Amino acid sequence: MSHFDEMTCLLYLEGQLDADHADGVRTHAAGCAECRGLLRALQTESVWLRESLEADDESVPARLVQAPEHGGAPWGWISALGLSAGGAYTLWSGFIEPWQAQAAQAGFTQGNLLTMLFFSGAFWKGWDAMRSLMEFLAVGTLGLVVMWLLRRHLRRTTALAVVMGALALMVALPPSAGAAERRTGDPNYSLPAGEVVHTDLIVYADSTRIDGDVEGDLIAFSRNVTVNGHIKGDIIAFSQELRVNGPVDGNVRAFVQNLQLYGTVTRNVLAWAGDVNLDQDARVNGTLTAGSGHLEMNGKLAGDLLAFTGDADINGQLGRNASIRAGHLTIGSKAEISGQATAQLRRPPDVSTGAKLGSPLDWTITKSGPETRYSSARYYVHHVLRWGASFLFGLVLLFVVPGFFFDAVKACGKTAPAIGFGILFLFAIPIAAIIVCITVVGLGVGISAMMFWAIAIYAAQVLVGAWLGEKILGEGAGAGAALGRLALGLAILRALGMLPFLGGWISFVVVIWGIGAVALAIYKNMRPQLAAAAVAV
Amino acid sequence: MSTAELADLLAQVRAGDSDAWGDLYGQYAPAIFRFCRRALPTREDAEDATTEIFMKVRQKLGMYDSSRPFTAWLYKVASNHCWDTLRRRRIRQDLETGDLETLPLEHPDPSQLEQLQMDHDSKHVRAGLAKLPDRARMALVLRYYSEMSYDEIADTLGVRRAFVGVLLLRARHQLRDVLAESGGGLQGAVARGRS
Ligand SMILES: [Zn+2]
Repeated sequence: MSHFDEMTCLLYLEGQLDADHADGVRTHAAGCAECRGLLRALQTESVWLRESLEADDESVPARLVQAPEHGGAPWGWISALGLSAGGAYTLWSGFIEPWQAQAAQAGFTQGNLLTMLFFSGAFWKGWDAMRSLMEFLAVGTLGLVVMWLLRRHLRRTTALAVVMGALALMVALPPSAGAAERRTGDPNYSLPAGEVVHTDLIVYADSTRIDGDVEGDLIAFSRNVTVNGHIKGDIIAFSQELRVNGPVDGNVRAFVQNLQLYGTVTRNVLAWAGDVNLDQDARVNGTLTAGSGHLEMNGKLAGDLLAFTGDADINGQLGRNASIRAGHLTIGSKAEISGQATAQLRRPPDVSTGAKLGSPLDWTITKSGPETRYSSARYYVHHVLRWGASFLFGLVLLFVVPGFFFDAVKACGKTAPAIGFGILFLFAIPIAAIIVCITVVGLGVGISAMMFWAIAIYAAQVLVGAWLGEKILGEGAGAGAALGRLALGLAILRALGMLPFLGGWISFVVVIWGIGAVALAIYKNMRPQLAAAAVAV
Repeated sequence: MSTAELADLLAQVRAGDSDAWGDLYGQYAPAIFRFCRRALPTREDAEDATTEIFMKVRQKLGMYDSSRPFTAWLYKVASNHCWDTLRRRRIRQDLETGDLETLPLEHPDPSQLEQLQMDHDSKHVRAGLAKLPDRARMALVLRYYSEMSYDEIADTLGVRRAFVGVLLLRARHQLRDVLAESGGGLQGAVARGRS
């Protein structure tokens, strides 16, 4: 007779067989040593499992001694806000202030740099550009969806490497050519005419003047940068003013308050600036991308123009198409646009009759006044699209990193710590990233941190939305439930964001809240590794 | 605590007495924490879950049917909460490892199985459990720690009752494999062919 299988033996031991079946096993086992052996082994395994599970070698953690109160104690709020205020103060007094003092000593006037970086020029006037950044992120999300669909063909680390690589390429920093000369101003730096730097040149100074030639890239952190010499690589400048007179064989990438271009740039110009000014002698052979408060374009541009700007004043030659989003656009009598020009404006453009346009300017008005804004269908379509983009982003997060997604959504429930951490991180990351850029670790890390920060800002609404959805519909299980809640929460957040005046503040709080939740979730996931690292040390 | 005392305490909690709530919590929180510690992969998760379970208990106390044992109800709430927590995180793995369920199991050799049990103490077993897939670990904990019936396990894990035995047997196999791999005296899997 054939033996019983392990499944039947287990069900027999667990009392799950009907009487006839159980009798069959009992009778067989009485005469079969092999089945008896198996039954005994399974029986001892059950005992062993019970004993192992019952064994109690861990105490109940201290934080569980107190019974949770309904709605939570106000102490949670108070201590978290206190902690975050303390943290912010520590960060300020221990890190930023000394660093700022050092910067002042190195030639930056006190407060000047931070003011310049955060509260002037590009940062505030460039809100349009910020919005387009959001749209870029939506496109990036689509890319991630594709990555996800291809995930079976790519190992996860590879996928991540590809994404990070693509992001790095987007930022388009050329790989530094091994050697680079570093120069620190005292407080000013100047490269005399006739001198040649054969590698990249990195300058930290109050005022920088380049009369000689640079064969690699010129990377400058400085208040004023004037370039008269020949730059064979790119110019990357973080400064208040950048004035380029000499020829540049590569690209110009400027994160500055004021960019003035008088010479020839062989490749592209990317400017994130308060004012961008291309003189009538200036010539750019590639494209010009500008996020700025004011754009004045009097020179020659061979490639496309893409501008997000407060005002645009065009009185030069454009070899190809122009796409402009601006408050106001003026096209002067000397302007020549060979391709198609499209513009989204707040006011009708002023187009001189002398201007030569390849085809008529295609312009639309984007209303911003509250009374007209809400009655425009476009406005709602735009919001629906933005809702879709954020939902898509949430979808990707949910499927690529579900553990992180749910941890972060859950962390949103810890409102006070999340908001506290959020305030800290919203300001700390860019400051830290800039410090990293300027000091030892280097641009790559700093810019990656900024990218991460931008993504976290975008993710914030998604996480808070998912949390809000759960609050309303209750917790669900599985991806479908989470997606439904996400969709609802995001729709509500978007509707709230459309409220006049209050909407902006609500969106701001959502960003802080969500970033804090991201920080909490990351901390939670890092904790075992941190502990392990501590043990290893 | 006697049944009458417990009924009294529960009535006070329902009436909103926060001291009574503290007593109830003090009485049952350690057991629920230990349950969560076994059901969830990390200590932090178990701590969070314990707090959340008691928040739920306080909300849902009105739904508790006092003709049935309180601890059974409590474990039911706890196991549902832990399983939901795990399931919410597990979406991705579900998509990718769904096929494993149909692999045939090798038959064990009783003497090697007994050797394996002797080689591993409770700490090893608990560490091994933490490495199991969520559903396998959950099934073992519900059955051999919470002493739930097959019906209750089926209900909690959302599977057919007839599948519970399969789930438990597979979980045992996975645990044996994990422990055999992690060392002790045994080399290789505890299995032999059998016709
Ligand atoms: Zn037999």
